[in-house]
Amino acid sequence: MEKFVQKTFPHGVHFHDNKELSKDQAIEVMPAVGDVFISVSQHIGAPSSPLVKPGDKVVKGQLIADAIGGLGSKVYSSVCGEVVEIVKRKTAPGGMCDHIHIKTDGSDECVTLPALEEKTKDAVLQRIFEAGIVGMGGAGFPTNVKLKPAKPVDTLIINGAECEPYITCDYRLMKEKANEVIQGAKYLALACGINNLVFGIESNKMDCAELFASLGAKVVVLKKKYPQGAEKDLICAVNGRRVPCGGLPMDVGVVVQNIATAYATYEAVELNKPCYERAMTVSGRGIASPKNLLVANGTVYKDILDFCGGYSDDTVKLVSGGPMMGFAFVDTAISTTKTTGSLLALTEKEVNLSLPTPCINCGRCAKACPMSLMPMYIDFYTLAGDYDTAVKYGAMNCFECGSCAYVCPARRQIVQSVRLCKKKLKERKK
Amino acid sequence: MEKLVYSASPHIKAPRTTKHIMIDVCIALLPATIVGIVFFGFDALLVMAISVLSAVLAEFLYKVCFMKKGKSFKEKLKESCTEFDYTSLVTGMLIGMNMPSKVNWYIPILASFFAIIIVKMLFGGTGKNIVNPAIAGRIFVFLSFGIVAANGFAEPIVNGSGDFMNTVTAGATPLATMLMTGTSSVSNLDLFLGNVAGTIGETSALALLVGGIYLVIRKVIDFKWPLIYIAVTGVASVLTMAIIGKTSTVDFGLFLPSILSGGLMLGAIFMATDYTTTPNTTLGNIIYFVALGLITAILRCNNGTEVVSFAIMLMNLTVPLIDKYIVPKPFGYVKPQKTKKEGN
Repeated sequence: MEKFVQKTFPHGVHFHDNKELSKDQAIEVMPAVGDVFISVSQHIGAPSSPLVKPGDKVVKGQLIADAIGGLGSKVYSSVCGEVVEIVKRKTAPGGMCDHIHIKTDGSDECVTLPALEEKTKDAVLQRIFEAGIVGMGGAGFPTNVKLKPAKPVDTLIINGAECEPYITCDYRLMKEKANEVIQGAKYLALACGINNLVFGIESNKMDCAELFASLGAKVVVLKKKYPQGAEKDLICAVNGRRVPCGGLPMDVGVVVQNIATAYATYEAVELNKPCYERAMTVSGRGIASPKNLLVANGTVYKDILDFCGGYSDDTVKLVSGGPMMGFAFVDTAISTTKTTGSLLALTEKEVNLSLPTPCINCGRCAKACPMSLMPMYIDFYTLAGDYDTAVKYGAMNCFECGSCAYVCPARRQIVQSVRLCKKKLKERKK
Repeated sequence: MEKLVYSASPHIKAPRTTKHIMIDVCIALLPATIVGIVFFGFDALLVMAISVLSAVLAEFLYKVCFMKKGKSFKEKLKESCTEFDYTSLVTGMLIGMNMPSKVNWYIPILASFFAIIIVKMLFGGTGKNIVNPAIAGRIFVFLSFGIVAANGFAEPIVNGSGDFMNTVTAGATPLATMLMTGTSSVSNLDLFLGNVAGTIGETSALALLVGGIYLVIRKVIDFKWPLIYIAVTGVASVLTMAIIGKTSTVDFGLFLPSILSGGLMLGAIFMATDYTTTPNTTLGNIIYFVALGLITAILRCNNGTEVVSFAIMLMNLTVPLIDKYIVPKPFGYVKPQKTKKEGN
């Protein structure tokens, strides 16, 4: 263990990661039954246009919605069955978008993409687009676009930090599919024309770091600290470069991809399988049996929660995504997408529901902020309606990791203030 | 289903709240309070009790009388109880510790009411006061009643001739003596243990340090700031004494007496580090505490009297200015003119 020097970034917060709940659960396949609702907007670009009509029969792996625009992404069916309708439904972040409602018929028929004859740079890049792969860490940025940066890049970092508490699906992928993840990462590097491939793995996953190093991958062990997996902080920790404010990783010659994206790339290139299912974690102390699951896209949250034994009566919050940056939901009829990494049922002990009290100016938020901002003043001036001063203290540089609100002893809702400030400034520009 | 909460991220929060921090401060103040009571006797206990009770009462009275319009008395009282965050308890304890034990009973009450109502509540309550309430309260009564001149500081009862009633010596504190004569009148050990004349809570450096170490371990305060303040004051005092001619040469023998005597330890550990009235950045804090140390040393030596509270209050007023102009550069900041360079 001594051979690894733990690297990190300035500031950040330490907390108990609660990963022990689901850490030792092998990834289990969850059979898709009943109805699935596949969103046509699982990425950040324009929603894909559906290619199927109500009444059509579809099989697993069939293209059901085509990409539109430069940031578009293709959507594949994750089940076999009949299209019932195309219906507007709620998404986890709170918006509405079209979902393709498919009634499963229980058969296991499956189609794949044609095999790649030559695994060249362009062919792999085209395959990544064809397979509908997007950044599976949560942003949903189309991977093929990210692999064609406008500026020269020299390093590909695979993000294995998984710094959010509770989530263990990337950990399980790394542990169970180490060779596949490494191979997938190599294809990503190939598609981007990069030789320098680095895996950044947090120190609470030391077994994975050692496993990857023994398989010949270049591993950087990162200190267990939140938000270690945030792109900018990851890059700073791995090779000391600092992404300029308002810039992108390519400004410092780096591309960052997620573990799950690497695995999806492996499947698309080697197994010719498009992206229609993903590993996710179901955890939290309100869940009867926390699990890591392989879930078909479009599965309704309720089915997943039921598959894990449902949530207990003392659950006060259901969260889609990590507890620091995820979205709370009340309606369990929402369905999963390519970017849903976890579902959590948190009990009253785990979440804090207390209301904000006056700021005592202790400065803990400024010490925690990975962007070196002054969150207490952003909060103060935003609530006072003085957005320009809030910007002076860094409101626009905030990426809403929530470290400040986590450490705040006065329970100030700082992240909400930042969002309010950003929204008001956006409205003003119009 | 009905119980589920819908709110924005982050969904988890650190267990520690303002109340926990304030209770920690109260615990840290206990050793010095107990030592004060041991040295100064029942009078000290009485003064402490009066200060604390009147400070807490002042907060409740203000909230019930002037806030929460349109609610019944019972509701007001209930809300005031849930809102109570122990800050006025800390203020009350600090005021008590800043009083000589032989003070008239109404003086701590006045100090507490002034501190809580005028300095804290009228400025907007917890976290909005521009100077430390306890310090403002202390200065208010010290200037108004000339406590020092009228009553003098009590000598510790263990030093007296055994007659407990005969403990009021209208004597000067060791600090005043040292500043007048340029030599220390009592041993450093007595100063360290607190066996000297002074206010209830300020005399025992040992007990204050124990409290300070507790706060550092509990991560309530950063050890750097009191350390900078105390060190700068000590060195600057020694130098100033030589410069203004109170001592013929630079006499580092005065270093320990100047940091151990007077209210410096109490001020540095518990009052100058008050969250609300200190800057929020590392650089801001360095400026604040170095300036505080210099002001304390220079004013002390020139005036021959204790000025820690005045120095802290003066620097408190500069905090908004420091925080306005010392803003840390965000991660990855680039100077506007060369936008393509990396901002290390």
